[in-house]
Amino acid sequence: MTETITKTKNQTKTKLVIDIAIFIAFLIAMDPHTSGIAIHEWLSTAAFAAIIVHLLLSWDWIVQTSRRIVGKMNSQSRINYILNWAMFFDVVVLMLSGFLISEQVIPSLGISLPQNFAWRSLHDLSANLFLLLLGLHTALHWGWIVDVFKRYIFQPLGRLFSSRKRKDVTA
Amino acid sequence: MKTLGKILVILVVFAVAMGITYFAVNASGSSSTDLPQFENRERPFPANGQFEPGERPEFSGGEFEGRERREGDGGGLMFGLIKNVGIIAILVTILVVPKNLIKRKRLQTSTSTSV
Repeated sequence: MTETITKTKNQTKTKLVIDIAIFIAFLIAMDPHTSGIAIHEWLSTAAFAAIIVHLLLSWDWIVQTSRRIVGKMNSQSRINYILNWAMFFDVVVLMLSGFLISEQVIPSLGISLPQNFAWRSLHDLSANLFLLLLGLHTALHWGWIVDVFKRYIFQPLGRLFSSRKRKDVTA
Repeated sequence: MKTLGKILVILVVFAVAMGITYFAVNASGSSSTDLPQFENRERPFPANGQFEPGERPEFSGGEFEGRERREGDGGGLMFGLIKNVGIIAILVTILVVPKNLIKRKRLQTSTSTSV
């Protein structure tokens, strides 16, 4: 029982770290004009691996919700599930179009692809859509985000400061 | 299911979705790989980017706002970050605040009816 609680706690912490990393990476990668095309491409490729870890950590939820989707289900969970699939397909289009118009990652592998204008506009469109979907995803998980931030960031920080104050008083 | 198997499932779904997208976009005919017509016929500029003296069109003035101008611009990066965070914050506010208000209202009505 205690082992399961510790495992869940660790998983939540890992999820929090991964999610923050993906969020920051996305914010930097979203503006290739200023971060530079190399950072944009390599960071996005790395974010792909982080997204796989994010999916792995949410595996149980995905499997359970996929089984229940046809039957009775909470409307918020249903919306969340549909939104997550939309996000997944948007990431697929974003990554594919990104690789097809790549100026750094794909050429560095010795592959040259023909220039394609349709993929470029599709890349821009899917990136803008991803920003919108990310906002909706964040809003739907806002309760979890606030709860986890309180538990693993603000409360430990508060405890740290209060223990320091106590030490100062006793000294 | 072991982690490796899960990763494989995710990658297979990714690959299938990518394949479908690739063929769908190519089949729609919108992804013509041909370069614009002026590239094949008459180029408005030399292929090597070098101009003969006097050949290069005069720059009419104003500030160039292309990638070269903006790359590495700290202010620009901050603006991009703030803009994207702002969009996400607006979406979160639009969805979370009314939801919380409705929740609070429901709680109030339920407590008032129970009293």
